[in-house]
Amino acid sequence: MQKLEDLTPEEMAVTNHRDSTKPNTMIVKFRARDYTAEAKAHFLPRIPTDLHPFSSTSSLSTKVDGVDEEENGPLDPLRAPSGRIVVPSKDNKGSLDAFKSDISDSNSVELLRREWTTFKRFLVQKFPPSRTVAISSIADLVIGSQKAYEKSSSVHLDELDDSQGSVDEDVKFITEHEYTARLTEMKNEILCAWAAGNHFKSLKLSVKVARLLRDTALLQFYPTLFTLATDILDMLGDMVWERIKRKVEYLEDGAKIRELREDFQVSDICSDAKDICHNWFCKIGSIRDLLPRIYLELAILPCWRFLVDDSADVIQRLIAMMRGLGNPLASAYCHLYLVYCVQKLPLHDNGYLVTCIRDINLMMTPIISLKETTDNRNNMSNQVLVHLMEPPMEYIIKCIFKDHQQGCTIRVGLGLARNLSELFGKCSSVSLVLHHLLKELPPEIVRSNVLHILDLIECSIGSSFDQCMNFRLLGFRLYETEAPMEMVNVVLERVIKDASQYQDLDAYLKVVDGYVDIVLQNHMKTQLEVLLGGIAERACSKWINDIELDSLQSVLTKILSHTKCLEDVLELVHLLLALHNLFAEIIDVMRGTAKNAINMRILEMATRNGYIRCPTTIQFLLEVGQSLHDGKSSSNMLDSDNQPLDRLLSRFVDMVEYGTEWERHLAFLIECRATFASADEVKETLVHHANCLVMKASKASKQLVSFGRSCLAFSEATIPSIAAPIKQLHLYLETAEVALASGLVCHSDGLIESAIRTLQSLIAEDSPTLLDVDRIVCVIQKLCGLLIMVPGNSMLGVTYIPKNLLSLVNNHSLVMPARLSVRTSCANILLLAAWSQHKLPYTPGGIKEMQVPGNDLLFFDDSSYHEELASFCGRILQNVVLAIKQETCPNARGNLALEACNCIASVIKVDDNISRICNELVEMATPCLNTNHSYFFSTSKFLVNQFRTCNNKLSLA
Amino acid sequence: MVLVLAIGDLHIPHRSPDLPAKFKSMLVPGKIQHIICTGNLCSKEVHDYLKTICPDLHVARGEYDEDTRYPEMKTLTIGQFKLGLCHGHQVIPWGDLDSLAMLQRQLDVDILVTGHTHQFTAYKHEGGVVINPGSATGAYSSITYDVNPSFVLMDIDGLRVVVYVYELIDGEVKVDKIDFKKTTAPHSPH
Amino acid sequence: MSVEIKLSRSNRMFRPDELLEGKIITKLTSSISHYGIRLTVNGSVNLQVRGGSAGVIESVVGVLKPITIGKKSVEIRPSGKISSGITEIPFSLTLKQPGESKSEKFYETFHGADISIQYLLTVDVVRGYLHKSLSATLEFIIESEKAELHELPVSPELVLFYITQDTQKHPLLSELKSGGFRVSGRIPTQCSLSCALRGELTVEASALPIQSIDIHLLRVESILVGDRIVSETSLVQTTQIADGDVCRGLTLPIYVLLPRLLTCATVLAGSFSIEFKVSVVISFQSELSKLQPKSDPRTPRLWLAMETLPLELVRTR
Repeated sequence: MQKLEDLTPEEMAVTNHRDSTKPNTMIVKFRARDYTAEAKAHFLPRIPTDLHPFSSTSSLSTKVDGVDEEENGPLDPLRAPSGRIVVPSKDNKGSLDAFKSDISDSNSVELLRREWTTFKRFLVQKFPPSRTVAISSIADLVIGSQKAYEKSSSVHLDELDDSQGSVDEDVKFITEHEYTARLTEMKNEILCAWAAGNHFKSLKLSVKVARLLRDTALLQFYPTLFTLATDILDMLGDMVWERIKRKVEYLEDGAKIRELREDFQVSDICSDAKDICHNWFCKIGSIRDLLPRIYLELAILPCWRFLVDDSADVIQRLIAMMRGLGNPLASAYCHLYLVYCVQKLPLHDNGYLVTCIRDINLMMTPIISLKETTDNRNNMSNQVLVHLMEPPMEYIIKCIFKDHQQGCTIRVGLGLARNLSELFGKCSSVSLVLHHLLKELPPEIVRSNVLHILDLIECSIGSSFDQCMNFRLLGFRLYETEAPMEMVNVVLERVIKDASQYQDLDAYLKVVDGYVDIVLQNHMKTQLEVLLGGIAERACSKWINDIELDSLQSVLTKILSHTKCLEDVLELVHLLLALHNLFAEIIDVMRGTAKNAINMRILEMATRNGYIRCPTTIQFLLEVGQSLHDGKSSSNMLDSDNQPLDRLLSRFVDMVEYGTEWERHLAFLIECRATFASADEVKETLVHHANCLVMKASKASKQLVSFGRSCLAFSEATIPSIAAPIKQLHLYLETAEVALASGLVCHSDGLIESAIRTLQSLIAEDSPTLLDVDRIVCVIQKLCGLLIMVPGNSMLGVTYIPKNLLSLVNNHSLVMPARLSVRTSCANILLLAAWSQHKLPYTPGGIKEMQVPGNDLLFFDDSSYHEELASFCGRILQNVVLAIKQETCPNARGNLALEACNCIASVIKVDDNISRICNELVEMATPCLNTNHSYFFSTSKFLVNQFRTCNNKLSLA
Repeated sequence: MVLVLAIGDLHIPHRSPDLPAKFKSMLVPGKIQHIICTGNLCSKEVHDYLKTICPDLHVARGEYDEDTRYPEMKTLTIGQFKLGLCHGHQVIPWGDLDSLAMLQRQLDVDILVTGHTHQFTAYKHEGGVVINPGSATGAYSSITYDVNPSFVLMDIDGLRVVVYVYELIDGEVKVDKIDFKKTTAPHSPH
Repeated sequence: MSVEIKLSRSNRMFRPDELLEGKIITKLTSSISHYGIRLTVNGSVNLQVRGGSAGVIESVVGVLKPITIGKKSVEIRPSGKISSGITEIPFSLTLKQPGESKSEKFYETFHGADISIQYLLTVDVVRGYLHKSLSATLEFIIESEKAELHELPVSPELVLFYITQDTQKHPLLSELKSGGFRVSGRIPTQCSLSCALRGELTVEASALPIQSIDIHLLRVESILVGDRIVSETSLVQTTQIADGDVCRGLTLPIYVLLPRLLTCATVLAGSFSIEFKVSVVISFQSELSKLQPKSDPRTPRLWLAMETLPLELVRTR
């Protein structure tokens, strides 16, 4: 029986809600734990493995051919996702194989197919289809219900044409998956029809598939549709080829009479085979709609070899026919398919490619010019359109230079250079087309035609952004070709003149970015100054946005990378200073805000690329930071948002690195605290770094006690000046952890005490918000986790801190929600249970020699210690039940009761008393929660389990 | 097959400047369907970075996280599995199996993912599986400064989970595999 | 028990001065006796006049007596026996004796709406009264004989055409009438059946965006009924050459493959004639066109502009 008068005032608080009629003696026995053995018993075995989901990633991301441009400069948004992502192509297994024709035996064709498969995969990846696609009535006829197919009434030749009925405005949505599945189904239907000898049906179905390609409203899904549809068309083409070839090689009775040579002539073909072939072209020729007619003819394009020896006319005609395609998207992809199909033919003149590009250029001109108009919606969809048209353009341009890349002849390229003027002739080029062309032009052509290219860029149509991207690309290409100085001079003169018209900083920076390397390489100081001056001029009048900053950064990094070659680190500072002064000159005329903006950008730039180690730079940046910080506190910026600045200053602190010169680093932190005295976030960062410094130092070297003390003292002094108490709390705890790790118990005790004091003032606040309560609970829980390894003070009593904590929450239990009290109690029960163990679950992480002994060692076999823990725990138990009853919300009450019950049953041996408390708690939860509630169920099961194990042990004993 | 990345306790920039480069090169966008993060990212930049790897990002709040939108605890269902997420500084003692089991009962989850100790662990007990992916940056923790950077990738396929543990030891990424199945049958008490 | 005819050419195409060759194949379960195997060639022009067109008096509606082009019967085998199993009997016959009269002109095979020129080859295995004769019929195709063919190349006589708002006789959308348009092009007036019809067309200007440009191949079948000529024009094939609003000033090719069987060399016989026309139809984008159900493309509409030109089809070497 405990007497009331024995209780300290704190304990009075604990007991003052107690029903005085209840007996209050409780002997609590903690369950013994063997943490190491348990961990061993329950751990899941690990097996080393080489095969894991990321194992293939590395091979995917490797660049295939050493593309030098990528290394020269940061990614250019226009060229970044180009076809260079070469996905290792697996063999195109599947139905294609079954019908793989002999033409694929030839290596070049096989290579072409593989490239094509790769390209198609890239296409789908670049434009991943959305989940649903809106399908037009055209597609619905094919994709939707099959019965929708109607024969047109009178003309019997129209069998190849679906009647389209009146154009339906209704939009239907189907999932992309359904669409794909339907196409796959159609592919199978085509295969089946063919296998059954119904070639006409195969053709009819293929026409339907090709007709789907008219539906360009699909936009993002269009590339996927294109790959699926052309896959089917290629299959048909192969089957037709094979059939005609068979006619040549075999007799009707199946006897093989001859082998068709790879390079056969028309004269080798018998008239029967020609007739069949001609028939196919006739059937396709009778398709009404232009687009499917072209696609089908392309599908069987190689079959022209059976009829004519030179198919150049056919190709020219097909390209000309494509001019009738009014939709630019459909047209671009149709050109793409043409270029692929033509490569199957033994054709050596690539003039047709030039024609393709010219036609696409013409086709894009109206869209691009429209771009400049005010119609926003059109503008958006046009941009999407242009984006979608890029891959075909890229593919075609790549094909032009394919031979060149293989190192065949320069002649081809030179021929093209002549064509270059021919290519755009009297009409001006679309910037985007020019961009892709310029990207692929062989270096020597770039070099020999540079002025001509400049002309083209200057008078190209498109947004000025596209134009400046071209100027930039030209710069990259020139750099790559190692153009002679004189040429660079001429080009730069013109580019600088052209760029001077860009008022926009972003555009200007883009251009500069392209030429920085070449300017630095050739040591063109004046030009560099002009360019940098241009930047300053444009930058001063406005806030620099992120994209511009990226460009600026890219320019600066390039300058830096060149200076790095000179091994002159100071150069960076000089440059930054130069920039700073450059801006300052102009800015001085203006207001302080703009100056601050520039300073902030300088700071931001400097902190973007890894650690700052150079002392001069650090000093310079510290000054910049100081001027910003002072500006903030002095000016009327007070009401404005300081967060970006604080964040930036913190970032600066983060990036400063002194390596193993711990003292210098600490000195820097101290200087920062003095400099940025009113920036809370910075101070928080400083504490984190001071703590980190201790850990790093003690990890590296074992004898740094005094340094550790200095750091801790710094933290201890800094934390109180931070305004937010919750932040203070966590910093106190972190510092305490660090102090423990370095064996400095007096510091950790002091820090924990400070933390409790802060906690007290926080709880004493009049109306803490609900969120704060949960954060406070979290702090208390973390503190209890920490206390496990804090040695108890025998002077104050081992349970001194837990008692303090409990009284703290209970003193305010009327204003604070019940969960604060309940959870604090539970946390303390868990803490006491851990303390009671023979070996603690963990010890402070520090140097072994300085290890702070835990309570397990300090009070080894000390019965009064264990009694103290047990009796205090008993008191908490009673308190818990009462505290839960304070909760008014039934649901919350039920959950708290179960939480407490779990906690108690988990750490305390279940005897009659405990089982009574647990039952009471469960009963308390019963009316509050649904008995089907899974927590309720699992808790009951757990209890039964715990009772059983305890009783077993009892009976065994 | 669903890939779930479990990662946490990055403490960037306070205790570590960045993720190890070897990890960064592995974590490419488009591979992973969900990220569960045990918290203590410590900066918005890290949050944004994780978002680029996979937009479906779930974070439990660590004690040093500023972002008030992160919840203390979170549950989510992926396929046949219910996953629970919590930073773990609230679990007393930190990383204790019994206490984690308690939390697991409360959240009613098959797999509980917690952090805070900065040590990779994977335990199975009657109530399910508890996984701690460790610290992806190897930051020092409350109880140790000897931390190997690690994270976990779970491949959830039907009732089966393969847990891949990526650990950076002496500059080399070591990958281990743990395989387990969800048993639908009731557990026998022992 | 069956009999069938198989011709030496898989496309079944022969010229009147060529030998019609092939074989008769019998598949028998038991041997049979017969009174002879006979092949008959029957060429005829079938004419039909449909009512409702061009104010023809109803009394003339109906099928006219077919004009026989040539009927010829040849005994391939005298009476005898055919053994069981598969037996192949080759044959070869001349269609037209060199000296035969001009009246028996072998017109090209043609299947039109009102006129059809057809050649049938029939085999009969006559088996007396008690047994049904075995017989089979096969259509073969006649193309003009070489001697009558034009020399290649036919000089492509291209005719220039212009289509503007002023060349249209029917009412147009007001925007078109006021805003105007101009489409020009060139198309041949004579075309070889073995080649494609090739021309070109350019949209020079247009106030409204273009929906589609189609080339319609039309056939005009005329039949002399008593003392009047009944003509019927029907659509043979439509070929779209522009889909959507094409670039202005860009030359689009006209490339139309002439469909086999549905076209033949232009025929101007005394009692009937088969002629062809080509029609260029431009449809402009208009909300109105969406409301209108699909109709005969030759019907003038507010949003259509068209130009029809005669086309002589010839068989070349």
